[in-house]
Amino acid sequence: MLALQLLCNGIVTGCALGIVAVSFSLVYATTKIFHVAHAGVYTMSGYVAWSLLRHGFPAPIAFVGAIAAATALGALIQGVLYARLERRRATHLVVLIASLGTLAVIQNILAAVFTANILQFELPWGSQVFHLGGNVRLTMTQLLTVLVNVAAYGGVMWFSHGTILGKQIRAVASNPFLAEIVRLQPRRVHIYVMAIASALVCLPGILVPLDFGLQPYNGVTPLLTATIAMIAGGVGSITGAFVLAIVITELQNMSLLFIPGEWSIGVTFFIFVVFMLFRPTGLFAAAR
Amino acid sequence: MDFWFSYIALASIYVLLGLSTNLLVGIAGIFSVSQAAVFGVGAYIVAFFLMNETMSFLPALAIAALCCIALNILVTLPALRVSGDYFVVTSFGIQLLATAVFTNWTDGTGGANGLPGIPPPDLAGKALESSGEVVSLCVAGMGLGCLIFWLVMRAPFGRLLRAIREDELAVAAAGKSVLRAKVSAAALAGAFAGTAGGLYATFLSFIDPSSFDLDSSILLLTMVVVGGARTLAGSILGPFLLLALPQILTLVDIPTTVAAAARQLIYGVLLIAFMLFRPQGLAGEKL
Amino acid sequence: MTAYLQASGVDVSFGGLKALNDCGFTVQQGKITCLVGPNGAGKTTIFNVITGFLRPGAGSVSFKGQTLDGWKPQAIVAAGIARTFQNLRLFVDLTAIDNVLASMPAQTGEEPVAAIFRPFHVASAQRHRRVEALAILNRVGLIERANDFTRNLSYGEQKLLTIARVLATGAELILLDEPASGLSAGALDGVMALLRRLQDDGKTLLVVEHNTRVVQQIADDVLFLHQGHLMAQGTPEAIVNDPALAEIYFGGTI
Repeated sequence: MLALQLLCNGIVTGCALGIVAVSFSLVYATTKIFHVAHAGVYTMSGYVAWSLLRHGFPAPIAFVGAIAAATALGALIQGVLYARLERRRATHLVVLIASLGTLAVIQNILAAVFTANILQFELPWGSQVFHLGGNVRLTMTQLLTVLVNVAAYGGVMWFSHGTILGKQIRAVASNPFLAEIVRLQPRRVHIYVMAIASALVCLPGILVPLDFGLQPYNGVTPLLTATIAMIAGGVGSITGAFVLAIVITELQNMSLLFIPGEWSIGVTFFIFVVFMLFRPTGLFAAAR
Repeated sequence: MDFWFSYIALASIYVLLGLSTNLLVGIAGIFSVSQAAVFGVGAYIVAFFLMNETMSFLPALAIAALCCIALNILVTLPALRVSGDYFVVTSFGIQLLATAVFTNWTDGTGGANGLPGIPPPDLAGKALESSGEVVSLCVAGMGLGCLIFWLVMRAPFGRLLRAIREDELAVAAAGKSVLRAKVSAAALAGAFAGTAGGLYATFLSFIDPSSFDLDSSILLLTMVVVGGARTLAGSILGPFLLLALPQILTLVDIPTTVAAAARQLIYGVLLIAFMLFRPQGLAGEKL
Repeated sequence: MTAYLQASGVDVSFGGLKALNDCGFTVQQGKITCLVGPNGAGKTTIFNVITGFLRPGAGSVSFKGQTLDGWKPQAIVAAGIARTFQNLRLFVDLTAIDNVLASMPAQTGEEPVAAIFRPFHVASAQRHRRVEALAILNRVGLIERANDFTRNLSYGEQKLLTIARVLATGAELILLDEPASGLSAGALDGVMALLRRLQDDGKTLLVVEHNTRVVQQIADDVLFLHQGHLMAQGTPEAIVNDPALAEIYFGGTI
């Protein structure tokens, strides 16, 4: 049953991209920056995990190390680049170009150090297979991907509604001016948001390459899918971004039954165009 | 071919592309990472017509330019109606989609292997065989492009575009259609990119997808950022400087495996540095 | 008889806040009509509705008997209504005369085709337009600053330039958003004299103004807006001397 297997794979990748979308959405809704360099953070985290494993560190330590590195990188981008541009009242376009430059820098440092060739993780437990009914197989990596990312989604929901920092972030997102008046210090909140989003995107950043391998330029397509999910889900809606990422990946995977895989970018983009034409505010758009 | 000949011809072609990117990014204020895709469409169309001997160079170039005008309008229009940020998505999407088409539509584009043996350009029934003639053609193309850019920017259209960069709402209050002006700028940008594509295909006599990918779009953006937005001088300076960069890199001893990454890395660093310290570029206006 | 400008039953709400609530009034041709009311009464909002920047939830605006509902801002300017902004919104990196030229309607060379293929025609047309633009700058008293960058103009001069820009559109109904605020006494007299001259030229003016002295001196007719609704309409004397309105205006019951 190819269709069932594809359906299953779609859910796995969809959960991973869901967290990419949720983390991107956190940044976008709060800082209003279209943080293209997020794709770089995503890619880099996989490489950090890979190198730590290569140097003999056990998997949990390698993963934690990667998360720490991603968090630091995110905070660095905000603190050194975005905050400085904002202080100079740079236009939106300028920030966007700087973000694109950051993406190019991260990707090409990785390409220079690790070459542009594909790298595979060597974790024997990862390919351990579970047989679900109807000939559908699920590897340990895939199972882990679903569990970790769904847990991360739950964590984000709890964090943004149940903690003080989460509420502050939502306050800054909805009205930065007012937030400044009540001394929420948007700048500090922005650094927190970037750090958290970068830590989050690290999870799919490690788990997806466990299955598909690492390449320095592989972050752009997932980010594109994620941004489309964010827009289609309604900017600012965490659930919208997560659910739509799964739906889009699912549609992409099911299209494999009819269309060769190299055209899947076309399918993704087609979904975006349809949304732009018929529901540009997204499915889960918050009432304003 | 002599190094200087090829440098001048390529730089001329990239000046056309720089003008194209400048119109879109610097003047209309539309972020774009897909100008290389439009460039590629122009190149493949001209290559197709010349290789099948359906028509001579100039009509093929005109068709390529028209197709790229249509393509750029099609790409710009829906996104302009919604929101500026969504254009980032459109732009990335178009670029990745174009790369997929160039690479996978083997019958039309030769796939990843590209199209070798594109005939040289011809003018008035005479093929331009010598490198000197081809370089002259490219330089003439650049000259025409610069003239058009200058004419357009000194006309009321140029003033309208500058006004739009400052305050779109005030332009609308003055009774002007912001959308129409931006679409016109995008159309002109398409014509420039398509022409550049045709010149590129016939000059190199070989094209493959790697010349029209995301990295090339980033290179185009870097050229405009380094040269300077919204000015003719900036659009000329950027390509001439950045195309010299690979030559300079060969002087430094970098292993060839790293060279491509190192080049792109420098583009990235330039983008960040100019945005932070000199957003007007070397010879441009504030972005 | 159809009214010159008529608004009726206009509703606008932002979130839960009602900015305009069943707002209706008429403006007579050739008159200077002042729009007054406390902060947040919806004065700028009704400007935005008339000029097509804001689509009302309900109600309609008509100009010379023709409804403007659903029209785009540029169509409304073409119909003969133009406005200024309270925060000026000038093109500060352009010269004063370029600000005026950029607001003139239907110029050749405003799209690329004519600019490329008929450069000499475009250039000669521009020379004529420059003469017209200079005449407009002369009318508002800015002729000496024509070639200065707008950012180097004083605040008072910038305010005059916003009026020049509206005149450049050729509009017959001009909406001015606080033309007198922030001006020195001398500049104030200049602006009031200018507004009267415009009236003599046959323009109709709808002016948002806080300064009661200005209102009393220039207005033919006053509209008093409160909480998004027309409270009263009358001569300046009648409105200013109405104790109930003064209570709302100065008593702070917003």
